[in-house]
Amino acid sequence: MTELKLGPITLRNRLVLKGFEMLDRRFAIKEILDEEVFTKLAPTHLGIFSCFGGITFFIFLMQITTGLLLMVYYVPDTQSAHKSVVAITNDIPFGWAVRGLHFWGANLMVLTVMVHMAKIYFGGIYKAPREMNWVTGVALFLLTMGFSFTGYLLPWTQLSYWATVIATEAPGAMPVVGPLTKSLMLGGPDVSQITLSRFFTLHVMVLPAATFSLLIAHFLQIRRQGISGPM
Amino acid sequence: MKKEVEIKHLPMEEKKRLVAEGKMHWFFPGHIVEQIIICIVVFLVLITLATMFPPALDEMADPFTTPEHIKPEWYFLAAYQELKIAEKLMFIGAWAPKVIGIGMQGVIVGFLFAIPFLDPNPDRQYSKRKIALALGGAAVLGFIGLTIWGHFS
Repeated sequence: MTELKLGPITLRNRLVLKGFEMLDRRFAIKEILDEEVFTKLAPTHLGIFSCFGGITFFIFLMQITTGLLLMVYYVPDTQSAHKSVVAITNDIPFGWAVRGLHFWGANLMVLTVMVHMAKIYFGGIYKAPREMNWVTGVALFLLTMGFSFTGYLLPWTQLSYWATVIATEAPGAMPVVGPLTKSLMLGGPDVSQITLSRFFTLHVMVLPAATFSLLIAHFLQIRRQGISGPM
Repeated sequence: MKKEVEIKHLPMEEKKRLVAEGKMHWFFPGHIVEQIIICIVVFLVLITLATMFPPALDEMADPFTTPEHIKPEWYFLAAYQELKIAEKLMFIGAWAPKVIGIGMQGVIVGFLFAIPFLDPNPDRQYSKRKIALALGGAAVLGFIGLTIWGHFS
């Protein structure tokens, strides 16, 4: 094999061809690549506002990466949490950069989610047949807010502690369901070690798992329905 | 509108014609290169922000000292201000502020989920969706307004 045609692309590099052959023999990748990559068409009518879903996904991947790096040094314990964040910021090589990226990524992600939603709303893209993908998207928006809410407490600062006290007071004042909701969130009457453990678990396990599942649903629906046409 | 599966299974000649006419472009390399450039730009924005404006770190939490002013982050300011406005409903009863304030937020989220099913209009052109656009615009302005109000209150 001296060359290989994949849609509009022709491969000639010997090493690339050899690697391709090794993979193709085992997984028959030519078919998949031909159909899903090399003969696939993308629309040209899209402006910058159509990119915000993708931008949000990219920031989410960055959050996973920087979040994993922060988790290596962060200690979810009321006595050590703040100290560990100070150490990440001041002592650990490039810790300041990783924390800065995670902080700004979080803020920017909320913003890009909102821009994405506004584009879908004002463009009328939520309409049939894409109704259920709008519903999936709103759930993803709520998960993003959940990430912000739980992540904010983790550095265990005065601000994050008292903001959580106040934010959980409001639903706690609801009749009937209030006290149960509050004690489910806090794990007791006050913001304590149990609250920190709960928020940490939500932030690094429960919310990411839920987000990944919904993202798969979100993307599969786009694959099936395609990008909506021009107006 | 052609369905995604229909576009996918167009004959190669037809696809080449669409690309030549500029109606579509190849996913690879055209679209992929665009996406990579956007990702690089986003990364540069993030690393610039992280370097120029490093996040502040407040002192360690002290459950026995309540700080004077506590405001939530910007994205929760609108909800925070809405709860503050609901406090004016004290005259209905002591239960009213929290129940109506939080109930209202639940209603808004429920409404957000239901938008595609509440909007009976199949048209997408701006000129044929005046009510939906006005409502959407009002919602955006309301959110921004409450956020600014919350920031200065």
